[in-house]
Amino acid sequence: MGESLLDKLGWRKYIGQETPSYTGETVLARDIRRYALAIDDLNPIYFDENAAKKGKYGGLTAPLGYVSWAIGVPGGEKSVKELGEDGLATFVGVPEFPNTWELGWVRGGEELEFFKPVYVGDQVTVTGNIVDMSEKDGRSGKMIFVTSLFTYKNQKGETLAKHRVTMIATPRKES
Amino acid sequence: MNNQIFYEDVVEGQEIPVLEKQVTTVNILMYLSTVWLMDRIHFDYPFATQRRGLPNVVAPGNMAGDYYVQLLSDWAGERGELRKLSIQFRSFMTPGDILACGGKIISKYIQEGKGYVELELWIKNQNNINCVPGKAIVELPLKGLKKA
Repeated sequence: MGESLLDKLGWRKYIGQETPSYTGETVLARDIRRYALAIDDLNPIYFDENAAKKGKYGGLTAPLGYVSWAIGVPGGEKSVKELGEDGLATFVGVPEFPNTWELGWVRGGEELEFFKPVYVGDQVTVTGNIVDMSEKDGRSGKMIFVTSLFTYKNQKGETLAKHRVTMIATPRKES
Repeated sequence: MNNQIFYEDVVEGQEIPVLEKQVTTVNILMYLSTVWLMDRIHFDYPFATQRRGLPNVVAPGNMAGDYYVQLLSDWAGERGELRKLSIQFRSFMTPGDILACGGKIISKYIQEGKGYVELELWIKNQNNINCVPGKAIVELPLKGLKKA
């Protein structure tokens, strides 16, 4: 193992740091419908208000995996010129540290714990913190693992889900 | 629903019915535009293949989580509930892939009067590669009010 990339970047001090809190805009029936169409999950409880009322949640809800998108894309709505060459602005789980975007980021894995679904009309707030950082030598160089834990709540303060995301960063290779 | 599955109905080692999904460029575009995700590896073929060395454009990894949500929510039925899902991104899902999403019960237990099963999950493509292995905990209703 050579020189620590985490030390070089000076990121270790961010372990435990809170991530910015965001509140999304009101979730619309259209948001849920389009999301369900995209993942091709055609359960009527995502499309049909009457079916949803008779269903287990008693109203139109989003597929459970939608919760992390219900806050929108904080910092992501930028003009083409402001976006990076790869099209990314920010991404859930990618920390906002100095030099973050000198590395390439991919998702390693994630864990979602579900308590309640997102309903039409909800406004979802996320809070979180960096819970772990580590590094190792991979096949093609250094790899940094950053794990964050996010909590999503609705406008009533009810916890909807907890979301543990591990992102993997590697130095960018120019091609 | 008439065909509700109960905690008592399942045994360790049992596999649940497979959900077949097919990734298409249209589904990917729908997903990207609805969540406003502009990462070029998902839609720009020359960028994905020449600049990033990928075999094709690739589906957003989150879609795998959504496939598991569908698999397990449908299986759990009206009275059951997906409680926890963990996934690891191992291999990309690409347009044209035919994906078999499945799972096997690895344990079952009763806690505070509720029935839970733990599952090992897979999303296998047509080459039998498990692209996104996972694990889940699903709550299933109990037939009787047995004490744990």
